[in-house]
Amino acid sequence: MTDRPMAAFDDATLESALRSLASAVEWPTAAPTGPTGAPAGPDIATRVRVRVIETQHERPTRPWRRLAWRPLRRSVVFALVALLALAVVAGAVGLGLPGLRFILGGGPTPPPPSPTATTGPGASSTLSTPSVPAAPGASMRLGMLVTLDRVEALTGIPVRLPSDPRLGTPDSVWVDTTKGNQVAYVWATNAELPATNEPGVGFVLMRFDGTTDPGFYEKVIGNETHLERVDVNGQDGFWITGDPHFFFYVRNGERIFEENRRWVGDALVWSDGTTTYRIESDLGKDETIAIAESIE
Amino acid sequence: MSWRAVHIEDAELITRARSGDVTAYESIVRRYQDVAVRTAYLICPETDADDAVQDAFLKAFHALPRFREGAPLRPWLLRIVANEARNRRRSAGRRHGLALRVADAEAPQRVAPGPDQIVMAAEQRAELLAALNTLRDDDREILGARFLLDLTEAETAETLGIPRGTVKSRTSRALGRLRVAFGVEAGVVEP
Repeated sequence: MTDRPMAAFDDATLESALRSLASAVEWPTAAPTGPTGAPAGPDIATRVRVRVIETQHERPTRPWRRLAWRPLRRSVVFALVALLALAVVAGAVGLGLPGLRFILGGGPTPPPPSPTATTGPGASSTLSTPSVPAAPGASMRLGMLVTLDRVEALTGIPVRLPSDPRLGTPDSVWVDTTKGNQVAYVWATNAELPATNEPGVGFVLMRFDGTTDPGFYEKVIGNETHLERVDVNGQDGFWITGDPHFFFYVRNGERIFEENRRWVGDALVWSDGTTTYRIESDLGKDETIAIAESIE
Repeated sequence: MSWRAVHIEDAELITRARSGDVTAYESIVRRYQDVAVRTAYLICPETDADDAVQDAFLKAFHALPRFREGAPLRPWLLRIVANEARNRRRSAGRRHGLALRVADAEAPQRVAPGPDQIVMAAEQRAELLAALNTLRDDDREILGARFLLDLTEAETAETLGIPRGTVKSRTSRALGRLRVAFGVEAGVVEP
């Protein structure tokens, strides 16, 4: 091919060249993989399943019609009541922020292998691993890497961090203004911070605008993820354990954003009235809540 | 698995999915998610292909009652994906075009060519892709569907929503324009 003038190729040669080109294109993938090529999050099929189930559980848009021919599930009734209550509260205090539902999804894709897992069969076709160590959380799709002192300028949100001495200054900070002004503070693993589900990451604190209504969580059927209601400085929250999971947030039936298309291990979620916080930590429930309550 | 076996299995999964079996639908999505995400990327490289495909599969689930029994499933799904990607293209900003993997842009071809493929140097691959990216959308789509995604003519027609009888002639004309663009990219002919 190299000996011939390119413009002189006949159709058959061009077709062959295009077919050869297919394997060199940077195609996106349906299943996210980590640096080792191992699954790093739920594939599209898993997430579509969760969204289908979620839409089947959505509030009916014309409830009076459905009432006539379809018995409402108790959870839907509870959700409607909770929505009305929240709307009253939000209107009363002028928040203008209707509650977010957070929806957990899991399986059937098996949990991700440990960081020491061998490289998968598809890994040889992926890009070579960068030789320069990336910032902790670089593979978590948390947004733009920024310095701590730029957070407020970028988001209008003052920096609030845990005062727990185990943490100190975060090792990396990420901002995604398209996801409810999301800010993620990431600490690398160390002697006091065991690895989370994310290799090399010992602690993640995220915040974004909006409140999660305790009445609006849904655990998608068929997984072994457990929810426990907890108290964080007097605010309702959830401690989530069990199988790795993923989740996304929904407001009024509209999907707001996904949690980065990745598996999440133990996590704490709570809201302070205007802001939702999430912590990923392998320190266990009590220590994680203690750190959450030290945020100032 | 033979084409016929895939067809029969698809039919079974569709029947179950229509009756509300979400796990069956998940199996359908998993079977076609790779080609779907490539289709979305081909049509709108500027968008988040993953997001577009998710939305498309969600729409497809709700459209399953309208799926014609016995019809091939793959192109029906890909048409929904293609429409979703086109909708996003309309609101997308700057056009990016398809990209080569970094490793392939700099190294010799690593994958052994198939019987109907030829070996290209890294520079030629980059020039060919650059030429493809200069084509107008319908040319890039039809060449991409036929030769990058390896869809049949019938699948290409349904996926792109064009008459089946015109796929061959449109492909031929697009190849002609690619040839010119390729020559320009390679510096063989003046733009």
